Amino acid sequence: MKRLSSQRLGVCLLSLALLLYPIVFSSPFYRDIGVTFLLAAISASAWNIVGGYAGQVSVGHSMFFGLGAYTPLLFYTLWGWPPIAGIPVGIVLSVALSVAIGLPTFRLSGHYFSMATIAVAELIRIYFGTWTLVGAAIGLQGPATGRGWWDLTFRSELPYYYMFLAVLALVLGVTFAVERRRFGFYLSAIKASERAARSLGVPVRQTKLQALALSAAFTSTAGSLYAAKTGFIDPDSGFGILVSVQMVIIAALGGAGTLFGPLVGALILIPLQTAVNTKFGGGGSGLTFIVYGGIIVLIARFEPGGLSELWQRLAPYLQRRARAA
Amino acid sequence: MLLEATKVSKAFGSFWAVAGADLTVEEGEIIGLIGPNGAGKSTFFNCLAGDTLPTGGRIMFDGKDLTRASPEVHARAGIGRTFQVPMTFEDMSVLDNVMVGAFLRHPHRNEAREHARRIVELTGLRHDQLGRSLGTPGRKRLGIARVLATEPRLLLLDEALAGLTPTELQEAIALLRKIHETGVTIVIVEHIMEVIMTLTRRVLVFNQGHVIASGRPEVVVRDEAVIEAYLGRGSRRQRE
Repeated sequence: MKRLSSQRLGVCLLSLALLLYPIVFSSPFYRDIGVTFLLAAISASAWNIVGGYAGQVSVGHSMFFGLGAYTPLLFYTLWGWPPIAGIPVGIVLSVALSVAIGLPTFRLSGHYFSMATIAVAELIRIYFGTWTLVGAAIGLQGPATGRGWWDLTFRSELPYYYMFLAVLALVLGVTFAVERRRFGFYLSAIKASERAARSLGVPVRQTKLQALALSAAFTSTAGSLYAAKTGFIDPDSGFGILVSVQMVIIAALGGAGTLFGPLVGALILIPLQTAVNTKFGGGGSGLTFIVYGGIIVLIARFEPGGLSELWQRLAPYLQRRARAA
Repeated sequence: MLLEATKVSKAFGSFWAVAGADLTVEEGEIIGLIGPNGAGKSTFFNCLAGDTLPTGGRIMFDGKDLTRASPEVHARAGIGRTFQVPMTFEDMSVLDNVMVGAFLRHPHRNEAREHARRIVELTGLRHDQLGRSLGTPGRKRLGIARVLATEPRLLLLDEALAGLTPTELQEAIALLRKIHETGVTIVIVEHIMEVIMTLTRRVLVFNQGHVIASGRPEVVVRDEAVIEAYLGRGSRRQRE
């Protein structure tokens, strides 16, 4: 009981900190970091539903991110639709893609599933790079100045920040609900042993597909938000493998398959990445890969369960010390 | 007739692990399935539970043809099984493990939790213990508890009692009796003859994919064909 309330307190403090952050740090630089952090947390939390809870490690989630990013800008370019109208269409397309991809690839497990998802995402990236309707290698641009709020084009970072925060709250809220329901139990069972899950009547393929579809819908939303904020998308920033890898790393760093793991992961990785980028500037553009690689090595070698597992191991010890002191 | 398996066969390449095995189970029975290692008992079990697609034959359960149905459909129809090596959900608590089974007939969380709690109590486990912290006896018990939560009419136990100490064995036998008393029909694969002799009224002996003998356990263990299957052809001469 006491643990529960301390957990609730932690969530309240975290929410408060996230709400106040852009007011306390009002310079555009810090606000931009905040927005980038929120976007990364949304994507990684979306990935977490299928990659963390169900243990189906997709390394091709950029396919949903990219679809979500391209759709609003494409509709704007073609017919002048406001980007906000493209978001639901992007979600529908991503969910459809997730079912089309999931049906054949969920026959594979472990590394084979991961490799299949990479292959599909790369195919889409290469195809978009030559498809003139979507701007080929140059990509698409959104409205330069907003005609109204529905164009989601703002001068200030502030509206983006709170919009992203609301979406993050939604994703985490849904994840929390999933965790407590039969669906969540089934996902954990599938992660632990598909064969045992099946023997208990868990409809494994259907459950995995549902998880992928839900994850795809949120990832697509993240992509749309990214496109709205940057006002620009090209094959690499939409479908590039770095987009997928970032989701995996952030979730794994914080703790895949835990509610707040991706949030914690983003809290560490995004400032780190920004620090590296500002220190080395354009000359260090390959450094992101090196940082990611280093983190993968560290997680795999020392903490495969991510920071949340480390915390669970340390917390009782720290509590005892605190009580003794 | 609850279960009627006729001429069930399973070939791996040119090797017939199960070759035309028959099994009929009446509601309320406890049946023992014995035989030397590699006789095809587990493969036969897997066919009955839908884990392995049989190469030939037919499996009828309660009037429905389940020959080619998936394990999920088997579970829903009322056939539950345990695994020879318990596949515990390691990162979940005992209660959560059992809840996964309970969700089959109780989609709502609170009902599933209540149902799982009763079963955990019946099997004498501790709710909050983590799956990974259980030893062999605990894992075997949890395997039984988990499948029991799906409310099966027929329970297939694949060496659910192997590797237990004599005391644990007695407890486990008592547990199976309790389960049987609640109206669950049981088919049990077991090497420990004590279990077979005390629990079952009818035994089938498997060898090289066939049923070579069946009947009351005390009769079957004296059957020449059975002794030969376990000890080899020379055994009769040596005994004389």
